[in-house]
Amino acid sequence: MLRLIVTRLLDAIPTLVMVLILVFVSLRILPGDPAQVALGEQATPDQLNLFREQMGLNAPLWQQFFSFGWNMLSLNFGKSLINGTPVIDLLAQNLPYTIELTLVATLIGLCIGVPMGVFAAVNRNKAPDTGARLYSLIGYAVPDFYLGALLLIVFSLNLGWFPINGGGDGFVDGIYHVLLPAITLAALKSAFLGRLTRTALLEVLGKDYVRTARAKGADENRVIYRHGLRNALLPLTTGLGLSILSTLSGSVPVELVFNRPGIGSLLINSIAQRDYPVIQAGVVMFAFFVVIINLAIDLAYVLVDPRIRVK
Amino acid sequence: MSLSRREFMTKAGVAGAAITIASTVGMPEAMAQDHVLSIALAARAPNGLNPAQTGLTGGDNWAISQIYDCLVNSADGTFGIKPEDFKPEIAESYESSPDAKTWTYKIRKGVKFHKGYGEVTADDVVFTFTRLIDPKVVTASKATYANIASVEAVDPMTVKFTLKLPDPLFNGSIASTLPASILSKKAFTEKGDAYKFDPIGTGPYQVTSVDPTSGVLLEANPDYFGGVAVTKHLKIVFIADTTARTLAFLSGQIDMMEGARTPGWIAGIKQRAAKTIFDETQPGSFNHLMLNLTKKPLDDVRVRQAIRYAIDNSAIAKAYGELATPMVGMIAPQFEGSVKPADLPPELQYKPDVAKAKALLAEAGFPNGLTIQCFNSQREDYAAIMLMVQEQLRAAGITLDMKMIDHATFHDQTAKDLNTIVLNSSSYPPVPTFPLVIQLASNAEVKADGSGGTNFSHYGVAMKGVDDLLTKALAEPDFEKRVATVQDIEKQVLKDLPDMGIITLSYVVARNPRVDLGYPVKSGYAYWPLHKAKYV
Repeated sequence: MLRLIVTRLLDAIPTLVMVLILVFVSLRILPGDPAQVALGEQATPDQLNLFREQMGLNAPLWQQFFSFGWNMLSLNFGKSLINGTPVIDLLAQNLPYTIELTLVATLIGLCIGVPMGVFAAVNRNKAPDTGARLYSLIGYAVPDFYLGALLLIVFSLNLGWFPINGGGDGFVDGIYHVLLPAITLAALKSAFLGRLTRTALLEVLGKDYVRTARAKGADENRVIYRHGLRNALLPLTTGLGLSILSTLSGSVPVELVFNRPGIGSLLINSIAQRDYPVIQAGVVMFAFFVVIINLAIDLAYVLVDPRIRVK
Repeated sequence: MSLSRREFMTKAGVAGAAITIASTVGMPEAMAQDHVLSIALAARAPNGLNPAQTGLTGGDNWAISQIYDCLVNSADGTFGIKPEDFKPEIAESYESSPDAKTWTYKIRKGVKFHKGYGEVTADDVVFTFTRLIDPKVVTASKATYANIASVEAVDPMTVKFTLKLPDPLFNGSIASTLPASILSKKAFTEKGDAYKFDPIGTGPYQVTSVDPTSGVLLEANPDYFGGVAVTKHLKIVFIADTTARTLAFLSGQIDMMEGARTPGWIAGIKQRAAKTIFDETQPGSFNHLMLNLTKKPLDDVRVRQAIRYAIDNSAIAKAYGELATPMVGMIAPQFEGSVKPADLPPELQYKPDVAKAKALLAEAGFPNGLTIQCFNSQREDYAAIMLMVQEQLRAAGITLDMKMIDHATFHDQTAKDLNTIVLNSSSYPPVPTFPLVIQLASNAEVKADGSGGTNFSHYGVAMKGVDDLLTKALAEPDFEKRVATVQDIEKQVLKDLPDMGIITLSYVVARNPRVDLGYPVKSGYAYWPLHKAKYV
């Protein structure tokens, strides 16, 4: 297991280096001058030059790149060009909210999606299956920013059951604030996981060993959950990993509609302001998460499927 | 390492819960909502509360304007547009030399900085302005203060400004501007970088806390020289998304919100909350169309006139309802120096006339119309105005092949002289010469390497401009005479048409009727004092 972890981490190094190069180059190609954004349209050329000098933006590109690479390795992410706040502080302020939203949304998505998928598979081509497929279709089709606004209007504005916006203060208030945005994201997640569960389970339920179990008179619940669902966990694990990654990077519209702090909206704002240090650190952090979550999925495979462990 | 599947599931669940808990503990405790006046602004988080720093958002400006004072200021809810319109603030009196090149301010005695940082002296004023004019210090709006040759303390309570050129409206152009809010020299030196989130001013409110997620919390300054603020606590919340901000306002969670400057927004709010009060600053931003005179066929005045005749400013303004005013020339109709249609000869009134536009195009060699390529910002105000302009031009046979691009890219590409027809939206102080110097002077000409200014039309270089008249206006110490010269410039620009005013667009704040501001908002910058505001 340790060897697997070390190997996977070593494999990730070239990926992270590529990300560093890509993010650096793409930002420099992107039109838009951070000095102009920070100082405004009417800034004098002298002030623009002074700002660039102070922020190291006048140095040759190769020098900027090596300085950036070294800083990333030493976890020195620099300061925001717009407000001078250390980037590490900005990430630390926003990351907990993103993790919180991702975890709660994933949990809700799992709790709805997996049972729904099982129910649909067991009742294939019957009304529950049609209903589940319809739910999945709607989950995929309705944009999260629209669903978020709709839920806000109904449950926060009209019924007053949930807060309108913000991240909440403290644990209980935090959970109270995260529920509605998490439900918004969970709609798509549950649609995805439900469909995945249904497909995987249907495939497994058609296998010889399932038929054998039934022929031996095994209880139907045992057939479905012990022989069926357990063996369908492999694709579900992959799907879960992908779903978590998509939430980490794709929760921006929900963060905006619910005015939640988070890494996604921090990055979008920084891109609009050409705040290079924040964008660079944010993207590298996302890449790091991708590596970690992929590693977690690999480890989960080993735990979920004994055959992989034996190999 | 050996871990069964059941153990894995259990541990994963526990770890997930632990991370969730860790992510939410340690956040600041909620402040009681009682008697906290709140306003939500369109920004993601505070960028700082040092008035002279760069990168401030509109939300930061709101907070700053409550925390600091200037030497003088306009009356609440108005713009000082004439020299006599300004009221003393930190200065108890001021006087100008006859040539309007020397301005002397007497500091009010007993004005205290927040949190025990002592009384304001001439040293603090000199410190504040020295930073603004020091070329080695990056501060906001450097060009605004470029006319100051020197600032010195005559005695501990008197400050003297010496200017390079006369400025009869020095109080409006410099002394009352937000970046010129008076800093505490002692606090600034002591706190260094930390000053921007722990600022010390003299204003009616002082900072209690600044939090990137919950916003800026202020409390009344008990020593405020103008009297203690009526409402003790003030909360400035940052909500970037218009929908989220609107819902927070409609739910009653916040008392005031920065509105959206889009057609139909006010009507939409009124449908849901009919008693909402809308505070609007006239004029707000100036929206100009600048035509690049170095690009064909815009070098032909007949084509420019055709564009002017094809655009119906009043129709565009009408789409915005009470938020917009049609512009006649370069300067907003609410400001001194602007010209009224009635004062102009008929040929400069440009009453919308599609037939005349077509005839002018035909005369210029385009009987079948023409296509002009340009790009525009995706920002909602830019996009809405330009789409209306595009539609009006189409009726006259002018096709705008317009690309919509991200706002920072738009500014970057425009600053490199790559655009043809540029919509420019800027908020200017009520100083008649200000937009002219920035948009029409030949030394502000845009340059291909991006090092130029914001004269995107190349007026004064591609063709004779108004440099002489502008020099005359800037050298004039008498305000009325200066205004008369500015009006001459307006008329010349209407003849040459390198730049055409489209509409002014007000900054708007929706207010819950339970809040009384204590005065009506008529004009002014995009922020106003809240120290007289109270719940009713």
